[in-house]
Amino acid sequence: MTSNRIDLPQGTLDLLILKTLALGPQHGWAISERIQQVSSDALRVQQGSLYPALHRLERRGWISARWGASENNRRARYYELTRAGRRQLEAEESAWKRLTAAVAQVLETT
Amino acid sequence: MLSDLLFRLRALLRSKAVEAELDEELRCHIDLQADEYMNSGLPREEAYRRARLLFGGLDKTKEQCRDARGLRLFESLARDVRYGYRMLRKSPAFTAVSLLTLAIGIGANSAIFSAVNALLINPYRFPESHRIVRVDARHISGKNQGAGYRDYLDWRQQNNVFEEMAIVPWTGTYTLTGQGEPQRVVGGETTHGFLRVLGIQPMLGRFFTEEEDRPGAPSLAVLSYAAWQTRFGGSPDVLGRQLMLNSVSYTIIGVLPRGFAFPGVQTCEFFTALCENSSNNRFQHQYDVLARLKRGASVERAQAEMTTIARRLEQEYPETNKGWDIILTPIHSAITQETKTEVLILFSTVIFVLLLACANLAGLQLARASSRAREMAIRASLGASRGRIVCQMLTESLLVAVSGGILGLAFAQWLMEALRLAAPEELALDATMHLDSAVLLFSVAASILTGILFGLAPALYAAGSDLNSVIKGDAGFGSSAPAHVRLRSFLVAGQVALSLVLLVGAGLMVKDLLVVLRLQTGLRTDHVLTFALAPPQAKYASPQRQAAFYHDLMERLRSAPGFDAAALVDTLPMTGGMTGGGFQVEGRPKAADWVDTLVQYNGSTPGFFRTLGIPLLRGRDFDDRDEASSAPVAIINDALARQFFPNEDPVGRKYRDDYDGKWRTIVGIVGSYKSQQPMRPPMPAVFRPLAQTGLRWEWVTARTNGDPEKLAGLVRAIVRAIDPDVPVLQLRTMRQVVSDSLSQSSLMTRYLVGFASFALLLAAIGIYGIAAYSVRQRLREIGIRAALGASYGSLLGSVLGKGVRLSIIGVIVGIPTALAVSGMLASVLYGISPLDTAVFVAVPAILILVALAASYLPARQAARVDPMVALRYE
Repeated sequence: MTSNRIDLPQGTLDLLILKTLALGPQHGWAISERIQQVSSDALRVQQGSLYPALHRLERRGWISARWGASENNRRARYYELTRAGRRQLEAEESAWKRLTAAVAQVLETT
Repeated sequence: MLSDLLFRLRALLRSKAVEAELDEELRCHIDLQADEYMNSGLPREEAYRRARLLFGGLDKTKEQCRDARGLRLFESLARDVRYGYRMLRKSPAFTAVSLLTLAIGIGANSAIFSAVNALLINPYRFPESHRIVRVDARHISGKNQGAGYRDYLDWRQQNNVFEEMAIVPWTGTYTLTGQGEPQRVVGGETTHGFLRVLGIQPMLGRFFTEEEDRPGAPSLAVLSYAAWQTRFGGSPDVLGRQLMLNSVSYTIIGVLPRGFAFPGVQTCEFFTALCENSSNNRFQHQYDVLARLKRGASVERAQAEMTTIARRLEQEYPETNKGWDIILTPIHSAITQETKTEVLILFSTVIFVLLLACANLAGLQLARASSRAREMAIRASLGASRGRIVCQMLTESLLVAVSGGILGLAFAQWLMEALRLAAPEELALDATMHLDSAVLLFSVAASILTGILFGLAPALYAAGSDLNSVIKGDAGFGSSAPAHVRLRSFLVAGQVALSLVLLVGAGLMVKDLLVVLRLQTGLRTDHVLTFALAPPQAKYASPQRQAAFYHDLMERLRSAPGFDAAALVDTLPMTGGMTGGGFQVEGRPKAADWVDTLVQYNGSTPGFFRTLGIPLLRGRDFDDRDEASSAPVAIINDALARQFFPNEDPVGRKYRDDYDGKWRTIVGIVGSYKSQQPMRPPMPAVFRPLAQTGLRWEWVTARTNGDPEKLAGLVRAIVRAIDPDVPVLQLRTMRQVVSDSLSQSSLMTRYLVGFASFALLLAAIGIYGIAAYSVRQRLREIGIRAALGASYGSLLGSVLGKGVRLSIIGVIVGIPTALAVSGMLASVLYGISPLDTAVFVAVPAILILVALAASYLPARQAARVDPMVALRYE
């Protein structure tokens, strides 16, 4: 249950959530599963930190929430990316890419 | 940011719903995860167990979600307040005492300070009073000052810098007739701009107009509020009615507002228009002028302009105005110069009492720290951060501080009202007695600050100490560890020491003011009748006629049954009137400024001193030898003797004064008495024989051997027998005269004593609080001793003994500081010595008694309690 789980810094979790939601509205559990899937199990979101992050993003207006029915007919809270959220996603994505590129460059030259 | 705000708002307002939603959301997550596990074959229970494990701490997540909602601050604040309130209710004694301390500290302090302030300074609060200035004409030589009416007119006309100018009311006594017995009343003459300068409107009717200042205008009068009430019953149709003064009929055109006060005109019952009359030529310099600056004009600019005007007048009228300057002084510095000392004393007293209140609060908080320390330690071990604990303690302290502050404000208002009601009507203090906002704010701020600071003690203590031992009760103040016992003892002794210093300071200052105010007037006031006579001018024009009248009166009075002695004096003691001037001893140079040699001038007839019980210290009283044609003589009082003849015998020496410039020989010395305000020590005074200076309107004093009041009728009969046209005015016993003049100062005395009592109460509360608390902390120890067989008496004795010992230590520790403080006060005290025995003995004694009493009750309780209960007490 442990080994190659990477701890996500707070900012990155936000980025991942936003990206996941770019594909369409999801509820919390589904978001967590998706991140896990897509990263080939390397990234496991601490379930405890997912919901605070979601609420925080909701507070900042980048995602909106509504109640809906889940796959097995349970009442679940669905999150959706807002327009502001979409802009934020673009900004953060490009910032991330620039950051990783710069770090990679430094690592290669030494 | 709008969405942020809305989000928070929703969370705040519908917190229950939001909370339920969160709950549901998280449960849903777990359900979904469990479903997943069940799909892969796990049984339901196992699936749920794993799902929960996978999720992690549900409560922690909820907490973090709440955090993320950004309402943490509000929610925790609300929670802290509720918790704080519960904790305060649990210790009612502490809460009650704290609130009481704050209420007294803030309330009584502010109210009493404001009241005494109003009495001492009588702050004449006029709108924008910083714009009011005195315009004084002063001669370059310093020998003379005062403006003439013509000067006033010119200044008024030529300046561009004043909004309005007026002559300060020139007071005089008038005979009022037509309202029962003829009476002597005081009134003032002033110019039409007087109210405008002060920025005040009459309450009824109007003040004079510019035309009414001129000679030939109709005789009009404006009443004071008090006069309106007492003489016209406050009836609204007073306007247009007549007032008969000095046989002239004045029409009343207005009434001044209640509480109107200005230096020198407190007793004025009415004002009439001061006009220029033929004797007002440029040579006369008698008036004081007041003016209001135009908005935006500075005193400097006004001064420059008036100086220019002065120079111009000098050129135009060289014989009368040469060498005359115009000096401007803002009214506030002019008024408060005299009373600065008293105000300083008063203010220091306030500070002291405030410090006492703060010390009380501090002591209470520190004492309470012990039980709270344990609670804080438990909270810390449960995961509360240091910041949270401090925050919670702060909230609690603030609760006490704010509630106490509100109580204090309410108390201050109520007390102020009570004090205002207690002040006698004629002092007209109503308008000037209000809560001094500066003092109030200062008190509130100081108390709150102290409360907060010392409320943090337990939190900081707990956060920094070894949690384990604190929880077990071995550390913290509630233990019997030597260090902590010492700390508690230190607190008790410290409170006593601090109270000692503060009470000594307050006590010295209060006693000083009381001493100065003391009723010792220097006269015998029992069995003395006084009255004034105003022989009508027409009938008694020549000095011979006047002398004959008085001579006749004195003879009849002295031989009448019931009277032992009678005499005349021109200034009745304790009536506030005074004439004075310079005093030059023969053989010594004349003083540069006559004010340096100011003495009071009096005139009396033989027997005056004996009549009023004033002791003759050396030489002789006036007698029949001293008449108009014989050598001029005089008698001085011992205050004057001490000032001008410290090392020699004054009897036989000659002096000259400004009254008539004649050289007089001193023939006797009498005891000094207070002639004016009871708040001032007796002035140096000189008496001239009325036979040599002439009798006009004099006061008659007569010593009776029976009840003076019963002889009032006889007095009137005697005067009527001589001449029925001469009215007897202001017939009173000396005692009434004194009490009339004292009404203001006795009020002050009452206030001050109340002040000191509050200070004492505060000290007592503080000591009681901490001593009682410290005894309760020893309950366990006492229980053990009781279980081991100690008797009730020995237990009681041990606790009381400790209490007394600690308070004595506190006294000893406090004395050096108290001495230092009294040394600092030495320059301010003028009635008592800084080492006043009474204060230095009474205060420690009282404090020790209080500590004793404070230890007694809880000690009794503790000694009586079942040892088993005591042992289990935490």
